Amino acid sequence: MNSQRRVHDIGGVEGWGPVPYDPEEPVFHDDWERRVFGLMFQVLPHTAKRPGEFRHALERLAAEDYFCSDGYYGRWRSAMEVLLDEYGHVDKAELDGRLGAAPGTSPGYRVEGVAEIDPKHLPPNRVTSKPERRTVRRELEEPSQFRVGDRVFAAGNDEMGHTRLPEYVRNVPGTVVKIHPAEVLPDSTAHDLGDRPQHVLCVAYRAKDLWGETAEEGVVINVDLYENYLELETESA
Amino acid sequence: MSEHDDHHHGADPNLPEVRTEALEDLLVEKGLVDRTRVDALIERFEHDLGPMVGARLVAKSWLEPQFRESLLENADRVLEEENIKGAEIEHVEVKANEPGIHNVVVCTLCSCYPWALLGLPPSWYKSPEYRSRVVREPRKVLQEMGLSLDAETEIRVWDSSSETRFLVLPERPLGTEELNLEELAQLVTRDSMIGVAKVQAS
Repeated sequence: MNSQRRVHDIGGVEGWGPVPYDPEEPVFHDDWERRVFGLMFQVLPHTAKRPGEFRHALERLAAEDYFCSDGYYGRWRSAMEVLLDEYGHVDKAELDGRLGAAPGTSPGYRVEGVAEIDPKHLPPNRVTSKPERRTVRRELEEPSQFRVGDRVFAAGNDEMGHTRLPEYVRNVPGTVVKIHPAEVLPDSTAHDLGDRPQHVLCVAYRAKDLWGETAEEGVVINVDLYENYLELETESA
Repeated sequence: MSEHDDHHHGADPNLPEVRTEALEDLLVEKGLVDRTRVDALIERFEHDLGPMVGARLVAKSWLEPQFRESLLENADRVLEEENIKGAEIEHVEVKANEPGIHNVVVCTLCSCYPWALLGLPPSWYKSPEYRSRVVREPRKVLQEMGLSLDAETEIRVWDSSSETRFLVLPERPLGTEELNLEELAQLVTRDSMIGVAKVQAS
């Protein structure tokens, strides 16, 4: 049922072992992690400035780079290298060359390109007043078409662009439990196709609906979904 | 070419520290990065941010029922009133644990986390093991992490898939009736506000 379609979309994917839990762990384990973190804030203004764009760079990494042994900050560095190459600041061969690394070491050689998204798969843009500060929030005049208590499902699509719809909830019925403030749609902004702001709905899923009868008892999984992902569940669905 | 070429020559290019340093040098040479600003930013995130901001909110909720109600009702307004600002808290929801209900937070698609309330997320929170499993078998994962919940307790998992960020309001432990705000805040751990631990009285 939940075949893993994209490298990062791992909610519910089986086969992972115990959580590497350390209640006492420090903020950074090594100095290089600190540097990667700090560099990011100056690299992003030259590269991925739009909401969702940096996340999508992470998602486009090859599995060996996404799950690399350098962990989270290794993944960040790889995404940074990819973006610097794509934006023309540091060619993917340049760092390898300087390090004397084997040609083709950079994650930029394995990354998936940004997919062309057909805007017809996206909801229409809506004009909203431009906020005074930088924010993903937007004020929408029309209320959400859904109400708390509605039974909904998200069909999703098989496009390979950025999305915040996790694979594990696709086509599973859930119940709207809350309506959050509206946000720009990352599926659109990450691809430079406009804000297309959407209401955001918190949808509660019963574990048994997601994982079947062997699921743990008494578990509810709440997922925040953009309104355009959702449809009302009908009796025949 | 620069002196940095010699500096990196001979070091194993696959080591993360070697590759990161070379990348930083390149970015500085190209004028894309200012090293002192990098240093300042790291300093701020490593030392000025941390779970104490969230811990104070929790402790105050334990002492003031009205504050607790406001926090659960509209955390954004409370954060504004308390002048709490910063990264990754544009919209915050607080979920209260109570007898029979336990909340736990994850981000299955990446590693979203309320930075300005809890500091930077720990590695285990960002690990594929936690992200994949806590939505499918939360009871088992929590048990493995040292938190056994009885079978009657409902587990509510919150997947941070939009820009909403979640904070768990843990239960106040027994035996803390005499403590003041600061003393209570000292007891509140980061992990209890993610929902993988309970707060202990001492």
